Formats: sequence, C-alpha cells, structure tokens
Amino acid sequence: MLEIKNLHVKLEDEDRVILKGLSLTVPKGEVHAIMGPNGSGKSTLAYVLAGRAGYEVTDGDILWNGESILEMQPDERAAKGVFLAFQYPMEIPGVAGLTFLRTAMNAVRKKRGEAELTTPAFMKIVKEKGEKLNIDVNMLKRPVNVGFSGGEKKRSEILQMALLEPTLCVLDETDSGLDIDALRVVAEGVNALRDKDRAFLVITHYQRLLNYIVPDKVHVLADGRIQKTGGKELALELEKSGYADFTGKAA
Amino acid sequence: MNVALMKTKAEQALTEAFEASAAKLPGSAAVKARRAEAIGAFGSLGLPHRRIEEWKYTDLRGNLKDVLPPAIHDETPLTIAELIVALGPLAHVDAHRIAFVNGHHRAEFDDLRDAAGLEVTTLGKTLSSAPTNVADALTKSDANGAIAALNAAFMTDGAIVRVADKATLAKPLVVVFVRAGSAKQTVTVRNFVSIGDAATATIIEAHVVLPGSAIESQSNALTEVSVGKGATLHHAKVAVDDGKCLHLADWDVVLGADATYRGFQFSSGLGLARNEINVRYAGERGKLDLSGAYMARAHEHVDTTLIVDHAVPNCESRELFKGVLDDHGRGVFQGKIIVRPDAQKTDGKQMAQALMLSEDAEFDSKPELEIFADDVVCGHGTTSAELDPDLLFYCRSRGIPEAEARALMIESFIGEAIDKVENPELHTALMAFAVNWLSNAARG
Repeated sequence: MLEIKNLHVKLEDEDRVILKGLSLTVPKGEVHAIMGPNGSGKSTLAYVLAGRAGYEVTDGDILWNGESILEMQPDERAAKGVFLAFQYPMEIPGVAGLTFLRTAMNAVRKKRGEAELTTPAFMKIVKEKGEKLNIDVNMLKRPVNVGFSGGEKKRSEILQMALLEPTLCVLDETDSGLDIDALRVVAEGVNALRDKDRAFLVITHYQRLLNYIVPDKVHVLADGRIQKTGGKELALELEKSGYADFTGKAA
Repeated sequence: MNVALMKTKAEQALTEAFEASAAKLPGSAAVKARRAEAIGAFGSLGLPHRRIEEWKYTDLRGNLKDVLPPAIHDETPLTIAELIVALGPLAHVDAHRIAFVNGHHRAEFDDLRDAAGLEVTTLGKTLSSAPTNVADALTKSDANGAIAALNAAFMTDGAIVRVADKATLAKPLVVVFVRAGSAKQTVTVRNFVSIGDAATATIIEAHVVLPGSAIESQSNALTEVSVGKGATLHHAKVAVDDGKCLHLADWDVVLGADATYRGFQFSSGLGLARNEINVRYAGERGKLDLSGAYMARAHEHVDTTLIVDHAVPNCESRELFKGVLDDHGRGVFQGKIIVRPDAQKTDGKQMAQALMLSEDAEFDSKPELEIFADDVVCGHGTTSAELDPDLLFYCRSRGIPEAEARALMIESFIGEAIDKVENPELHTALMAFAVNWLSNAARG
C-alpha cells in the first residue's frame, strides 16, 4: 500500500513550494488516477516518488508497504518495487536497448536476492513481453529510445515496467504525444499488468487515457493538494467542467 | 647573434642516441644517408613547442624530459599466449595478422594464410636492400616536421601492405605492435598501406602492451596510406597502454577519386599522446569519415590533430571525436579543414566532444576552417559537458546503482563514436576496451 502523508515539497534551488500537504492512499490491487491542471504538481509528485534530485521534502512522508522511502536512492526504490514511466522517456545513444534492460533487470534482481538471468532466459522473457507490446527484439538492439517515435518510446517504457515487475507503478502523462492506436497498445500493456499485488498511480491531464485504463479512484490535484476524490465518473465530470473550480479555489 | 633556441637535454639526447645507434639501424647505404639527413633536419627544427601554433596545447619540448634509448634490436621472449593477452579484446577479431615486438617483426606470430589479394612485407627487410629511389620513398613523408624526421632517423620496422586492384579482403588485417619486456625504450615504426583501385579492405593498427612490461615507454608510429580510385579502406588504430607511455602517431592519407576512407582511432592509458591525421583528396568525389574515442585520467594527455585538405571539388568529410576525461586528464582537438579555391561542392562536417568527469579535467578544442571556395557546406561544433543528471536519474530509476549508471552513461557517450566502426568484432573489442578503462577506475 502506498501512503502519502501530508507531503510538502519545494524546489531545492528555489523558494517555490509545489506540494502543500498532499495526502493519498493507494491500496495494492487498485488503480488511482491523479488529474490536475498544468502546474498543479503532478509531475513533481511522480518525481518525488521515484527519488529524483532537486526536490526537498520539508514535511510529511511517503510510505510504501509501511516503510518510508524518502531516504532511499532511486535505485533502492526501484528494487523495492517503485517504477516511474516517464512523460518524456530519455534517449541513451550508444547503449543498446537489450544491454540497458539486462543491466536494469539484473541490478534489481540482485537487490531483491534473486539470481541474475542467463542470456537465453533473458532473451526469452524480452521476446515474450515485447511481442505483447509490438516491440520487436531488433528494435531493442538499437540504442535506447534513439530515433523512436513518441509511441515507440512509451511502449518501451511499458516494456521496462513489465520486465522489472514493480509493485508500485507510477505513470506520468503516459498518454501525452500518443495517437489513438498507440494509446490503445500502451493501455493494453498496462492493463495486462494489473494485479492484486500491484498498485498503480496514473497521472494525466486528460480523461482520454482513463477510457482505456479504468481507474478505481480519481483524485484531483490542484495547488499542491488533493482537492477532490471520487470514482471514475469524476474524470468525465472534469472533462466537461474543466479544472476552473479547483484552480479558482486555489487562487 | 645566435637566435636558435638552446637545445634541451632531450633534443641533445636524441641526436646522441642517433649517433650511437646509426650503424646498427637497418638500411642500405642510401637509407643510412637519408637517416643522417633526417636527424640533421630534426637538429635544426628541435622538438615542437607551444609557440608553434599546431603544438600550442601539446608542448612536447617542455614535456619530454628523458629520452629512452631506441629499440635497435629485440630478442624479448614472447609466447603466442602472451601476445593474445596483450591484444586483449582485439584477440577476438577474426583477422590476418602481422606482428612486431618492440618494433621488430616476429614472423612466428604472423597469420597471412589464404589472404588472397593481400601482400604484406616488412619495412625492416625492405630498408636493408633499398636502392636510392626506394630509400627516398621510404623516408620521405607528407608530414614534414620534427616528429616525422625522428621517425625517418630511427624507424626499425613496420608493415608494407598492398591490396590488389579489385580485391575484397575477406578478413581484416591486424598490424600489431606489442610492447614487452622490462627495458625502457623507444620504438619507432613506419607502415605503408596501399589499397588498389576498386579494392576493399579493413586494416587495424594495434599498439598494445604485455602486462608486467616496463611502465615507461616511448613510441613514434607513422603510417602512410594511399587509397586507390573507387577503393574503400576501413582503417583503425588502437593504442592502449599503462598510463605512462609517450605515443607520437601520424597517419598520412591520400584519397583517390571516388575512394572511401573510414578512419577510427581509439586511445586509452596513454601518458602523452599526439595523434595526427593528414588527409588529402587527390581525386573528386572522395568520401572521408574520421572518428575517434579517447579516454584519459590521472595526468594523461591525448591530442588529436587533423588536417583535411579538400584540394579538389565534390568531396565529403565527416569527423567525430569523443573524449572521456577524468582527474587531471586533458584532451586536445585541433581540426583544420582546408577547402582550396577549386574545391567547390565540398561538404565538410566536424564535431569534437568531451565528457568531463572531474573539475580538474581540461579540454582544448580548436576547429579551423580555411575556406577559399564559395560553393561549399562546412560546419563544425565542439561540446564539453558533465554527465547528464537527468539521464543518470533515468537509469537509477530502473534500479541501476549509481556507479553502474555512470559507467553506462560513459559507455553511451563513447559508444556513439565507436558506433562509427563497421566491423562488428572490432566494434565489440573497442567497447570492451572502453569498459576495461572504466572498471580500472572502479578498482581505483
């Protein structure tokens, strides 16, 4: 279970406070969506969960399965099951996709006390999980994400997620830059990973994604706090009325 | 008044070393005469220093304190197993081979079986019987100057490689210069590579060391290359040492019409290196791709100096050089592109990049475009940067620990240059050298 308690976050180099007492609980097996206007702190929340530098938590805590992750390095969090699917997946020229995936998988397995994968075992898993996402192994022989279309990059994120078998999946604007076909493939990939032991936090600006990844709960994030929580129908309301109510309140 | 610079200890030592060894260096009377002229030329030039523009960042005169004696002959015991160890990752490249130990040919390590279209002889033998015209050809160089003069004076051996017209070599040729034994010495070699018209070949020049050999060493390696009309040469130089060697290297390349030349240089563990490459287009529609990767730490210094001479129209040149610099490591890049008045439709692009792993590292980059024609496309760029923190975070968010993520980023950076190498086995070997360099850092 993910428990975010009264989280206050500011930028390390600036006085700007971004999250102002955010509280949220996502039980295992559930998919929660976070929706909010631009600048509400959605991406900050995603980054703080994954442990990116540059943010300072001034108050509150983040517990994953009862354990605070705030002091953990990003790679330790990954080993504990935290995975962030990036809004803008990074390109790594010169490092073949397969090398990257294998390095990541083995690093995580090592920390989880599991044996490293042999080459044939690794290739088998990659092929199997890649096929479901329309990712050919040849594509993974190329440098990570280099020359990939927006859709290919997002699919490659979901493949990483499938391979690392996280228990907390944070999806940051996974729908941005996707056409409808790509969106469907990505959503199917995510849905395939839905599991009673896995929690999802799906961050999005638009309701569209939630037609494909149907959430158990929707939270509205504005001005650094959860302003409203509801069922999946809340997303549809927001689509109609926009965020004006919440940003108005914030101002 | 005498305005000549006072000779340094090293300059005097070089002249004296020549006097002491001239009689023992290989060569016919004609060759010996050319050698004497060369050392005379060196005497008046002296070692290049920072007030000479091309040597501004690499002050050889100031840096070269002690001259190591020339390796006039060699009987260092070496087994094939040791040669394989010295070659490291390069041993896995399926290739023909000609081998030199401390600058002297060792026929027992050659592998030139079934090398149709390839003819390999040695400079040592050729020098011994060279009549005047051959002696002239062997001692002259496109690269004039003090280093080439020293090379002519002291060269002991090297490979003379000819690829027949229209031949396509099935395997690359590795010309290996292995340094072995406890003697601290200077190795001076010269190679000649001639690729026939419409031929295709891959030639790898390797300068490697047997672990446990003398830490200090000096080498001067010059390679003259001519690529025939419509021919393609993939040419690589791999120089990997223990961090204390002085490596002075020069490639002089002449490209025929419609020829393609893809040159790549990898350097790591070189105390002080000067890698010079001169390319001249002798015919139209020549295509040049020069690239390189170098890695320097401690107080190592790697200088890459290029002169690309677009003497004729319609030629293309591409350069990409990448360096990884840690500690007080220093990278120097000088890239001169000359476009002569007639060389219209020249297409030249150059990029030099350094990855700085330490605040004390230094990168000096000097692109020089001398363009005398008006219908050309030429560009250059230089960057120096630290590891991208966003990229590091991306890797770490996938569970990769910091040290491993950093190594991956460095591989990524250097890999972009190594990707220019088309031979997959050589590519793999070069990546392995880069990874070895990184893991040596981890050992601290």
